[in-house]
Amino acid sequence: MTTNSYLSKVLASQTLGDESNELKALQERRAEVEKFLRQHFEGSSPTIRYGGSKAKGTMIRESYDLDIACYFPRDDTAAGETLEEIYANVRNVLEKKYLVEPKASALRLKDLNTQTRGVDFHIDVVPGRFTDDEKSDAFLYISTGEKKRLKTNLDVHIKHVKDSGVIDAIRLMKLWKVRNGLPIRNFVLELAVIKLLKSKKDAARSTQLEHIWTEFRDNIENLYVEDPANPSGNDLSHLLNSTMKGTLAAGAGRTLALIGTSGWEAVFGPVDEKKETEKTEALRRAAAAVVTPTRPWLREA
Amino acid sequence: MSHLWHRRDPALFEKQKVEVEANFPELHFRVVGDLVLVVGTFPIIFMGTVLDRYSVEIALATDYPKSLPSVREIGGRIPWAAERHINCDGTACVLLPDERWKAWPVGATLLDFLNGPVRNFFLGQSLVERGDPWPFGQWSHGAAGIREYYGELLNTRDTQVICQYLECVSAKKAKGHWPCPCGNGKRLRECHGATVQALREKIARKDAATSLQRIR
Repeated sequence: MTTNSYLSKVLASQTLGDESNELKALQERRAEVEKFLRQHFEGSSPTIRYGGSKAKGTMIRESYDLDIACYFPRDDTAAGETLEEIYANVRNVLEKKYLVEPKASALRLKDLNTQTRGVDFHIDVVPGRFTDDEKSDAFLYISTGEKKRLKTNLDVHIKHVKDSGVIDAIRLMKLWKVRNGLPIRNFVLELAVIKLLKSKKDAARSTQLEHIWTEFRDNIENLYVEDPANPSGNDLSHLLNSTMKGTLAAGAGRTLALIGTSGWEAVFGPVDEKKETEKTEALRRAAAAVVTPTRPWLREA
Repeated sequence: MSHLWHRRDPALFEKQKVEVEANFPELHFRVVGDLVLVVGTFPIIFMGTVLDRYSVEIALATDYPKSLPSVREIGGRIPWAAERHINCDGTACVLLPDERWKAWPVGATLLDFLNGPVRNFFLGQSLVERGDPWPFGQWSHGAAGIREYYGELLNTRDTQVICQYLECVSAKKAKGHWPCPCGNGKRLRECHGATVQALREKIARKDAATSLQRIR
């Protein structure tokens, strides 16, 4: 198998079909969240839009999400006077039904039920307020850092990624990020990939990835990304600061070394073609082969 | 001298890092504040095949390797539920600290911890997720699990006897003239002195004291 056919298989194994359980669950949950938000902010008439990897076409099985933008009209104050109040009010409402994990400008929804508490719903709700009556640009509250407001445009973000011509490379780099537990935001990684592959759109996927990792390893201090929705206004340097750059450079260095010593399969692993039943049997055999078994416990009674 | 193990003993830090990263290429060491975090993907491999993967964050506290590493599944896949042995704060109870001597004795490496209790835990999670029972069984939660463990170890169901043994194990020194914890009225040196000594060699005083506090 050639490197590029291997990478194609990796991509295929990470694709979620429209009929997949994951996507069906996501769509059901999306409808539920939208209804819930509309019920609670009925008087404010929020505009609900969808973004995230589903909208951008960058979804991978191991890391997929749906952004639900909940933007309030420019002159509405019922949902909150300030952006911070809007963020807090939307959070308070969502906490009635979900386990909410606050992120910089989004609210990650997880299961609140006792038996399934903490299971990720792969949904981020992004509260905000439109900048004008055109309802295209919006201001978001930023809970971290010094700057507390960010001007953004969901459609511009989606278009920037969708039309980049490097979707496959973005998906593979997202898989690399997830597998290696790298803390870079998906949005920043997407911008970095698009920028680095500007002149390599037609190159083979393996060439594209090696180029990105080489740039990360050798030249990352010169890498800067701009927010396409507000290039001069939004400073993203704190999201790609020296610590982050160091982490990415180290990760890229290890990956390139791994390709050199063990080949591409060592990077993304063998492509899994086992059926679920075969997997379960293999797991049972693996358990039977354990020499020193240990039993789980729970600190709390 | 620093109170942080990775600064106090940089050679140990480097050794563990090199060893873990060589065996688990998708796990990375990061120093965040006082903690050393090992973050990335933990694979369950059997006969050269990756059967499953979990996104994990393993925190090595300032007093590592004295304290057990704290394991979290960060992919949002395992519910934070008692049945799945995940505490309310998202940390996993991969093993009973008192049982550490068997699975991860003093002097064992982080790689041993990953290949032992951590692998067992996630292997169990994968099977439970598929509807199977826990492959190696499970301890009851909280004090009940501690009682079960010592009950099996000492072959008794008597909580009072277990507490007496734990008093001997958690004491600075177990003295021969003390009454034997088995409760037969003899002195320790004339009865279960060797058993107590063996327990003291296996179980950390601190762990025994914590367990005693829990089951009392």
